[in-house]
Amino acid sequence: MSRRKHPRHPLHILRIAVQLVFFAFFLALLVMTALGTPIAARPWLAQLFLITDPLVLVGMALAGAFTTALVASLIVVGLSLLAPRAYCGWICPLGTTMDIVDKLLFRKRDRSANLAPRLRQVKYGLLVALLVLAVFRIGAFGWFDPVCIATRSYGVALYPIADHAAKAGLVAAEESGLHAAGQAYDWAARARLFIRDTDFKKGDTDVAYLWSLVFTALLVGIVLAQAYQKRFWCRNLCPLGAMLGLLGSVSPLRPRVSKKCTGCGACRKLCKTGAFQPMPCEKIRDASLFSISVSKSVMENREASLISSHASAADKKYTSTVQECVCCYACERDFCPAGAIHIGAGSPAPVRPEPQVCPGRRAFLGAAATSVVLGPALLLDQRTRQKAETNPMLRPPGALKPDAQFQAACIRCGECMRACPTNALHPSGVENGIGGLWTPTFVFNIGYCDYFCNVRKEDVESGRLDRPANLCGIVCPTGAIRKLTHAEKIACKIGTAVFDKSRCLPWARGEECLTCEEQCPLGEKAISHDMEDVANLEWLEMPQPKRNRYEQLDARAASGEELTADEKAEMAAMPPKTRRLGLPYVLRDRCIGCGTCENVCPVDGASGIRVERLQTRDVK
Amino acid sequence: MSNPLKRRGFLKCAGAALVAGVALPGCSSGPEGGVKFRARPHPKADEWKHRLGLAQGDDPGRNVRAAVEKLCGPEGVRTFVKQGDRVVIKPNIGWAQIPEMGATVDPAVVSTLVQLCREAGAGTVKVFDNSVGTNSKCYEFSGIENAAKAAGAEVFLCAPHRFQALAFDDPRCRRLKEWPIYEDALTADVFINVAAAKVHNLTYVTLCMKNLMGVQGGDRGKMHQEIHQNLADLNVMIRPTLNILDATRVMIAGGPSGGRRDQVVPGRTIVCGTSAVTVDCWGADPKNLPWPKGHHDPAAVGHIALGAAAGLGIADPAKIEVSA
Repeated sequence: MSRRKHPRHPLHILRIAVQLVFFAFFLALLVMTALGTPIAARPWLAQLFLITDPLVLVGMALAGAFTTALVASLIVVGLSLLAPRAYCGWICPLGTTMDIVDKLLFRKRDRSANLAPRLRQVKYGLLVALLVLAVFRIGAFGWFDPVCIATRSYGVALYPIADHAAKAGLVAAEESGLHAAGQAYDWAARARLFIRDTDFKKGDTDVAYLWSLVFTALLVGIVLAQAYQKRFWCRNLCPLGAMLGLLGSVSPLRPRVSKKCTGCGACRKLCKTGAFQPMPCEKIRDASLFSISVSKSVMENREASLISSHASAADKKYTSTVQECVCCYACERDFCPAGAIHIGAGSPAPVRPEPQVCPGRRAFLGAAATSVVLGPALLLDQRTRQKAETNPMLRPPGALKPDAQFQAACIRCGECMRACPTNALHPSGVENGIGGLWTPTFVFNIGYCDYFCNVRKEDVESGRLDRPANLCGIVCPTGAIRKLTHAEKIACKIGTAVFDKSRCLPWARGEECLTCEEQCPLGEKAISHDMEDVANLEWLEMPQPKRNRYEQLDARAASGEELTADEKAEMAAMPPKTRRLGLPYVLRDRCIGCGTCENVCPVDGASGIRVERLQTRDVK
Repeated sequence: MSNPLKRRGFLKCAGAALVAGVALPGCSSGPEGGVKFRARPHPKADEWKHRLGLAQGDDPGRNVRAAVEKLCGPEGVRTFVKQGDRVVIKPNIGWAQIPEMGATVDPAVVSTLVQLCREAGAGTVKVFDNSVGTNSKCYEFSGIENAAKAAGAEVFLCAPHRFQALAFDDPRCRRLKEWPIYEDALTADVFINVAAAKVHNLTYVTLCMKNLMGVQGGDRGKMHQEIHQNLADLNVMIRPTLNILDATRVMIAGGPSGGRRDQVVPGRTIVCGTSAVTVDCWGADPKNLPWPKGHHDPAAVGHIALGAAAGLGIADPAKIEVSA
């Protein structure tokens, strides 16, 4: 701050305020998504940052999975037509994260030598590749979209960590005798600020997601790459940034460098997205350094030719690339000692010409060609893995079918996982195709599909169960998971529970259990049992001589011989050879595959009853 | 760039964190004398093992008041709740079902009990259950949270760190060695157990004895192996001051979770006693409550018989004395 010679530009201050407000809003919405039912009344809030994402709009349209909610992203399209990449500089939660970390860690770091201009082309290549993949109905753009990255990293990785940390802190304080901490814990639990209530089987309130370490690492990688360049991701990799930059090519609002430019190069060193370069005239001579092609029309500008004729290496002049400018308003007063830069629609001062960044034709074609090969390969992989997998993925209720349709419409943002009240939905691995990575799948060992997911008490009382009942579908921004009413949800078969008779306690060990039947949430339970006489484990575990003795006495009693009182007592002290036991079975057509049975089964590890997506006609 | 002050600052922070990390858990002190169930038994617990108070009618709130008075005399709850007592009421709030489904205790029963305890001078009245379903949803659907709060009780969700391992060190405990029990249930002065009357797929009926599973933490699925003996063990260790069976409704099928109105029949009855076994023996009897045909004779219900064998109560319907 001590270095600041001029007060900040008012729009610079406004930009920081807007960034922080949007970032706080983004985080607040993630917390609200955890509250479940309250967000269900206004699902667009949970979806807000995703449905206003033009990359999602275009990707979904290309994949043939367009939904009308995505029209909201036209706001951001409009914004980008007026102010290039202002979204990136003012709104994007990932961008704000980077700015905050940059301020905290790299404020004094000199990165002015790390220009690497060619690296910028990567984002255009990535954009093209992802959009071509979308045509093949591979929703891979969700892996790279910055809003998806932020939603996933914050919602599925960092929020659970914060949840753990908050609980651990309060518990430690409470156990060290601080009564107020216990009260704070109770209050937060009742306010549903903690993600979930105590789990029946594990007895904990832990929330964690598969892959969340990877999501954390990706976010950390993205922010730490700024050690090399400010906003490394935005400059070089972000496909949404590339798209907004291209839209912004026609924007009237852009950084304009006036004749006052002394060629000191401060802007080039300090601009967070590297939007300033020396004038094209120098670069034409050094094209290998700056792969920026200069559009003819611009060079036809009289002024440009004038400058190029006067330019020399000693007084290099600078200009801007509109596609890179995130409208942060730092340049005008912070960087330029000559006051030669002005971001605006027009300038009183003469404006220097601007070079146009075009994604190089070769890069464009190369990226498209790669995807043309990769797309069919990924589709083939999807089909092959689904054939190979013995138990293909269990999708949330309301997920589009067939699965290829779901994978095309899912942007892997993790909203459904975040909203799931029992921590049952997780990012999948590559079980259903490498292209299906991070799409949601059920892990019933961790949670289950709540029978009354988004049903309120008054709904059950009044019998009016026509509101959307599945939180995953309610928050899904793309309609990959449809909203289902309670009746639709319980008619939507996720899979079918199947007993593993080699693990189920009554079947495998002759032990009492029926926990699965007890907890089956259906009014007419999908699990029932027959009372049968089975071998008694206790008898089997008796030493052989004792068993022989029992057999002997038993045979004598059976033959009608009267046993002595001592012998009778001896027999009574030994466990009976068989016992009557409830042996459970599944009523296949009733079972909705909610996974409660698998979740509560007391068998550790693989449960004695598991939900499988049977490849038979009972899965609609 | 290397700044010694920064390093020193860092070391200070790390040191402080280390000290805090070591010291904080160390200074936490458990309750004196180890973990045990502390609630006072009812003053007449030993004499009244065979006695029950019973009331019938359409108003569950009035029934529970009347039933307690039938058992304890006109002084009612005052016979066992003293000025300033910490009272814990453990109703069945096990499932996310509305009261009409009969899966949980009627909210009016709980709110009346809260009122009675407060009238008797209780310092605090807490209501909780470690639900089977999602805790907060069960509290909401059952209507018990709102009713109990309105009557002046504290209602809280179970927090995993507040379970304490209780040693099942009574010689009558044959299977369970140790089980985590919720702190507030252990430390209460008066503990009131309020069960709903339901059929159960494994234990035939779920009444007062089984209702105590709601103070347990841990993996309760593992209670289900030799469940009758486990329940008897649990009842040896957890001896409520008063046991109340809310048979305002009786769930006759689909138990214990329920969810269909046609599986519930009106029972209009509330019965209470000092022994959970005796209450259950009366409650499990098809002569007393509208259980489905072919239902068990109470003495044949394993946990009731085992509970009686451990001296906790009476398993012979003929020996039970009901004040109605």
